[in-house]
Amino acid sequence: MYSEGIREMTDPQLWLAGAEIGCFFALVALSIYLVVVGASFFNFAAGPYAMAAALLTGYAAAHWGVPILAGAVLGIAVAVAISLATEIVVVRPVQRRSGGAELPALVAVTATLFAIQQLAGTVFGRTPVSVRNLLPLPDFRVGSLSVQGSTATIILVTALVLPAVILWLRRTTTGQLLRAVGDNHEAARMIGVNVNRVRLWAFGLSGAIAGLAGIVFAAKSGAYFTSGLSWTLTGFLALVIGGTGTPWAPLIGGLALGWIQVFGSFYFGATGSSIAVFLVALVFFALRPEGLFQRKVRV
Amino acid sequence: MASTSITAARPALRDALVESGICLTVVAVVLLWMGPSLYRQDLVFLAATYALVALGMYLPFVLAGSLSMAYSAYAAIGAYAVAYLSVKQGLSPWWGWPAGMAIAAAVALVLAVATRKLSGFYLAAVTLLFAVAFEHWLGDATTITGGASGISGIPVPSLFGWEPPRYAQVLAAIVFVCVVAVFIDRLRRSAWGLALSAARENGPAVQSAGISPPHLTVVALAAGAAIAATGGALFTVSVQAVTPETFGLDLVFLAIFMPIIGGRGSAWGAPLGALIVVAVSLNMPGYQGSGELLLAGVVLAILLLAPGGVIGWTHSATARLISSRTRDRR
Repeated sequence: MYSEGIREMTDPQLWLAGAEIGCFFALVALSIYLVVVGASFFNFAAGPYAMAAALLTGYAAAHWGVPILAGAVLGIAVAVAISLATEIVVVRPVQRRSGGAELPALVAVTATLFAIQQLAGTVFGRTPVSVRNLLPLPDFRVGSLSVQGSTATIILVTALVLPAVILWLRRTTTGQLLRAVGDNHEAARMIGVNVNRVRLWAFGLSGAIAGLAGIVFAAKSGAYFTSGLSWTLTGFLALVIGGTGTPWAPLIGGLALGWIQVFGSFYFGATGSSIAVFLVALVFFALRPEGLFQRKVRV
Repeated sequence: MASTSITAARPALRDALVESGICLTVVAVVLLWMGPSLYRQDLVFLAATYALVALGMYLPFVLAGSLSMAYSAYAAIGAYAVAYLSVKQGLSPWWGWPAGMAIAAAVALVLAVATRKLSGFYLAAVTLLFAVAFEHWLGDATTITGGASGISGIPVPSLFGWEPPRYAQVLAAIVFVCVVAVFIDRLRRSAWGLALSAARENGPAVQSAGISPPHLTVVALAAGAAIAATGGALFTVSVQAVTPETFGLDLVFLAIFMPIIGGRGSAWGAPLGALIVVAVSLNMPGYQGSGELLLAGVVLAILLLAPGGVIGWTHSATARLISSRTRDRR
């Protein structure tokens, strides 16, 4: 647990706590980012994917004795499956019918979010489920800073996943096509891009990242069938702060939001923290709706 | 001259007749379903509360196409206004109704002006964050809201000293919802409502006609918030207590689903959807929570297969039936 004594902005323990939830927000934001780039669509169901994966991992360990790593693979597979199903069954037909309008897709994904939540609550029960740490890391100390194993796991996973996704975006053909499809899918279709396949990659990868994020973060927070909505909101907000200009933006936005939450609740309490988050969102929407990092459009 | 006024009066008269016919049918059907069961009386009260919140959302969400999700906060304002004025200030609970409506409209106005540049996902996310922050605040501002335990012992409003029995209260609630539904449906067909829907489809066209679309949306959001506040106020008549959790985020989701289930083509879709939501989620046999799961499935199925909702589906089904009959006759 945290050391006693006066803790302030200079306390590295608070900065570590902020970095920890910040990394989690960054992973959820990255999951949302991929779908934003590939399908110009904010997938509000990303949080519920993370929640479903975490619940399944914890449930499988508790009820079927599945080891944590195998459970995590199972959880991520389910998150990918739900994410692909969201695209194929819900988003694609609704967008086709509405001609790509925003509101019908938003309503449909809101219904999907609610459905995943209720399905998870029905299958895994409406009580919090605890999840073990994914990596067998012990708690350790760095100087006066005490680091929990689960904290190290979250930061380590983020440090591995984010560069891997950026490499995928920059080095693979599908990754490079992602932006082309998201910007103008008609034009992309015209030049012979298999738009549906690229979008499936975006949704699948998004589901995998969300699932992994949920599993590593649940070791800290536990998983509950309604956790998904607030996870979506924080991931979305991290993306709003960071912008969608660079694939690094989710990390910057996530860390900023993590520190805002930690220091907000430290100085102003839980209510102050949620009000601070709301005000930060308003400020960003009013003054810099494109986020910190905007994509330079070359004409 | 005289003939034009008569032809103008006749559709108005016919509208009024149709509307009162719908209202009487709704009241009769709901009373029949309720019977003497006390539990179902509670359910009808809950459905009336849901219906008012959904009717409040109908203006900005269905007509103006802007999904604000702060409606749990507006309903809470309505309920807390009644609770605060009657329990903490000793006034008649009736004062809470207009007070709650005014406060909710003012809050919605400020929020709408602050978010007027946003639409779609951005608006939904910011208003959700507001709803979350507001719920936290309700639990914290102990001197006004009673903190986490809320305010209980809210008196039932009386009419000139007469305290209506439970059955009369339920009846009044149904009639009130009907009146609001008629009002909103007339608003939908009015010039203002048409401008609102036109601005959703094509903002620049409406702007070029000299109407400001952002202005329309802000007014719709404020009016909707005031109506949602009456839903919260009505709830305190049924359950004489309110806590920060009474109006949670679940209510917002349900209120989005109600017009979708009932049908978005008419304001009556909202109360119809509310009744279906309550009947499915709370009056279902089976274990806890199965109703909500079924509801989520129903909403997804309607969105994908029958976007017109129950009312739209009934319309198209009858139209198909009639056209096939006329074809048979030929």
